[in-house]
Amino acid sequence: MKKKQFAIIGLGTFGYNVAVELVKKDMQVLAIDNDSETVNRISRFVTQALVADATDEKAMEDAGVADCDSVVISIGGNIETSILSTLIVKELGVKNVILKSSSRWHSKVAAKLGVDIVVYPEFEMAKKLVDNIVMPNILEQIELSKDYNLVEVIAPKEIWGKTIKNSGVRNNYGVNIIAMRKRIPIIDDDGQSDIKEEVNMMPGPDDEISQNDILVVIGSVKSLVKLRG
Amino acid sequence: MSNDIKNTVSNEANHIELGKFYFLNNKYDEAVSEFKKVLEINPGNAEAYYNIGLIKESSNQMDEAREMYSKALTVKPDYKIVRVRLNKLIGIKS
Repeated sequence: MKKKQFAIIGLGTFGYNVAVELVKKDMQVLAIDNDSETVNRISRFVTQALVADATDEKAMEDAGVADCDSVVISIGGNIETSILSTLIVKELGVKNVILKSSSRWHSKVAAKLGVDIVVYPEFEMAKKLVDNIVMPNILEQIELSKDYNLVEVIAPKEIWGKTIKNSGVRNNYGVNIIAMRKRIPIIDDDGQSDIKEEVNMMPGPDDEISQNDILVVIGSVKSLVKLRG
Repeated sequence: MSNDIKNTVSNEANHIELGKFYFLNNKYDEAVSEFKKVLEINPGNAEAYYNIGLIKESSNQMDEAREMYSKALTVKPDYKIVRVRLNKLIGIKS
């Protein structure tokens, strides 16, 4: 199967890490920035690294941006440059354009230009951080829709030692357990203690919920509020 | 080695082993109690702090786990496995 090709325009912290992580997933990555030092630094990790002006249509065309399956535009400091670059990439006919936004207005303009995905990492991380601070027993949260979430939650005390069937999570809390995670104490070959994680991906009705278990549950936002206590 | 020192070392090691045994058998309270005895004998025993940290992490008490791992690293800064666990806990990739 042909490897997917990505172009990352703008190699600040976000763009740089997106490029490196894509390479780790065995993707082909063209990394572009106007700073030669940054390009030099990333060149040994990516398929190709180029010093180029993202607002120069000819330079982007010559770089082969149009041949990429997806382009990530992560120009942080200058919104004008980011928008102009987005326009050029769209006009080159790239199928999937992802933009790192730095403000609500930046996102709005990107949407008008037909960007496929807008990410706003600062906002998303801030929201996640607040969730973690306010709800410490919710370890992860994925919004499935406006009303439904998938969350990783520490098993509430009331259901410790009960089987899933007898725990009443469905009736009392209105949620479904779709996986269970445990931390198991181990002693390695050197006599060193450690913990390993075990995931039960298909918990059955007779599986017991132990103290300290982490449950992956799906349910309505209202139900999940009840579960997290 | 004098007998007193021998006994101290032996007690410290015994409590560590007993603590690990309890930990392995999910008897966390008993395990913590053994590791605390180690720290009473030798407040500079990094392994005891590390093991208490592991128990706290297994019990989803992450603040306490972080504190214990940090103490272990204060005593023994090159304690690699503790560094890995602490980094994982605070979200730093090792």
